[in-house]
Amino acid sequence: MSPGPAALLLAAAGTAALLTDRLWAVALLAVVLLAVCLRAPAERRGVYLFGALTSGLGVLVLSPFLWSSPDGTILWEGPTIPVLGPLDVTTTELSEAALNGFRLAALGLAFAAYALLLDHDRLVAAAGVARRSALAVALATRLVPSLERDAVGLAESVRGRGVRLEGARGYATLLSPLVAGSLERATSLAEAMEARGFGRPGTTRAPRPPWSARDRLALVFAALLVLLAALWL
Amino acid sequence: MALAGALVTVDGLSFSYPSAPPALRDVSLALEPGEVVALLGPSGSGKTTLLRALAGLVPHFHGGRFAGQVVVAGLDTRRTRPAELAGTVATIFQDPEDQVVMTIVANEVAFGLENLGVEPRAIWPRVERALESVDALHLWGRKTVELSGGELQRVCLASALALEPRLLLLDEPTSQLDPEAAALFLAAVERLGATVVLSEHRVARALELATRVIFVDGGRILLDAPRDAALEWLRTERPRYTEACVPVTQSHFGELVLDARDVSFSYRATLPILDGVDLVLRRGEIVVLEGPNGAGKTTLARIVAGLVEPDSGSVELRGRVGYLSQDPGRYLVTETALAEVALAVNRDEQRARAALDSVGLGWAADRHPRDLSSGERERLALASVAVAEPDLLVLDEPTRGLDPERKVVLGAWLEEYAASGKAVLVATHDRDLPAHRRIGLSGTGTQSLEEATVGV
Repeated sequence: MSPGPAALLLAAAGTAALLTDRLWAVALLAVVLLAVCLRAPAERRGVYLFGALTSGLGVLVLSPFLWSSPDGTILWEGPTIPVLGPLDVTTTELSEAALNGFRLAALGLAFAAYALLLDHDRLVAAAGVARRSALAVALATRLVPSLERDAVGLAESVRGRGVRLEGARGYATLLSPLVAGSLERATSLAEAMEARGFGRPGTTRAPRPPWSARDRLALVFAALLVLLAALWL
Repeated sequence: MALAGALVTVDGLSFSYPSAPPALRDVSLALEPGEVVALLGPSGSGKTTLLRALAGLVPHFHGGRFAGQVVVAGLDTRRTRPAELAGTVATIFQDPEDQVVMTIVANEVAFGLENLGVEPRAIWPRVERALESVDALHLWGRKTVELSGGELQRVCLASALALEPRLLLLDEPTSQLDPEAAALFLAAVERLGATVVLSEHRVARALELATRVIFVDGGRILLDAPRDAALEWLRTERPRYTEACVPVTQSHFGELVLDARDVSFSYRATLPILDGVDLVLRRGEIVVLEGPNGAGKTTLARIVAGLVEPDSGSVELRGRVGYLSQDPGRYLVTETALAEVALAVNRDEQRARAALDSVGLGWAADRHPRDLSSGERERLALASVAVAEPDLLVLDEPTRGLDPERKVVLGAWLEEYAASGKAVLVATHDRDLPAHRRIGLSGTGTQSLEEATVGV
């Protein structure tokens, strides 16, 4: 499938997850998106799946304690905490937490599928307008694997000296050099792009294969998915 | 003043980066069409800045104080943006990872052609020709993020060759290539017929191709002569630029430090990188791992350093190991050079200062590591690993970016380190480093074994 329709399909799945209020529908979307992500190479998908699933799980676990609903059956009653109020968990809070958790996971997984499986170059090329912005988005997407590789390099550089990194505090010391390194990389990339003529007027595009029937079908399906989520789910 | 017939004229060029001493001082030269110029000189001598000036990136991209004039194909670089010079000029920078824009290899090579407004129908055939010329056609649909350093370097070279430039500027373009790939690339450059300025620390490679040599030091041109005359000058004035490897003298080795048996490893089940490799190192010994790109040198080095577990086999280490990764200057983690080195010795500043002195960086103790030049960062990284005096020192491509004089210093340092009763394992394409044994890894996943005593 061409990356344009594929990106629209993923965006539609994310939008549908936000629009629908039915838990089963959001859960189904999350599961389908997870299956799509599993098509990516194992060594690359780990960080994306971890990010998407832990944030969804975080919402599921924390939000019943942070948001209070008078409806539903009380499952657990805890103490009253200043600022937060009474700590309790009701069936309504739990189902709302599950809904929001799955929503966040679905959004994260849609982004993961976009980052891992789509040909961002063809997306940039397909952008009829704002090609520079599209390229900026594609480069920002590439930042994740670059940062991951740099983080591994930094950790190995420290371990290679016989120094052990322990706990969150140990790894936090790598944050500042990681940011500094990515800024350095960005400057070098900008220089290389300038030297290769980026920003000149009169650019052309290499010919790309036309959209197939499958691509058109994906567009229709994306529109239907959003419509379905907005009106019936 | 532009000279008639010259593609490039540089007249009285002086340049300083913001808040820095002059990087170039009163440089004047002219380049004729089709000339191949080897640009030599020590690290930090101004070679990269001169290349940037020829590409118009100095002063447009970097800012700073610019005096004099650079004219390329009739265009004054002060009035012409680097993007407008692109196509006439193509540049390959030192680090391939920092110049890749697109996700897929073919699109990366097409990127420059699209920017130049090349007729769409002509783009893919030119991409194909360029990739073929550097033996990288098989990488066409691969993701750039999944390529090795050597593969990425070939893609960058193809991206430049595809532009069919009149002036090709190459800043250490073969630093991550094995000798075969480097020869292939240089042949492709030669076929292009463009004016080429090649900055390269592997001098023999550069001189193979060059018709003229420019030697820069301290921002000034010390020599500008045809190759043969330049060779004579180098032999007398800078002998280390013409010598091969440093001889090793020690031949008696101590007890075993590393005993790796039947080590196998694969990143994917279908693609074994190492298959039943044995490797033994004794105290006092320097062993070099050689092999083409993708043969598993880095993987074996990382396994030996304990950073990667082998799929099968055993690795027995008797003592502590220190590991210096490829491009270590990128992976410095503290705020001062002294703190960087002291990290491995429980912040013992006395030992850290001694280690800094040993690599000639005593003056930089209080400087931020990222304020140092790339060559200085590499030396700082070496000091940061060696300060703890590991029994086995593992170095991955330590000569990348080192000029011949620094390489000789590094070689002598390694020999001294080994003579103190430690073992050294070096993964490298560079045959100029001293070694007691060289072990060849083949690219087929098995260890072919040419073990040779060298340097004598």
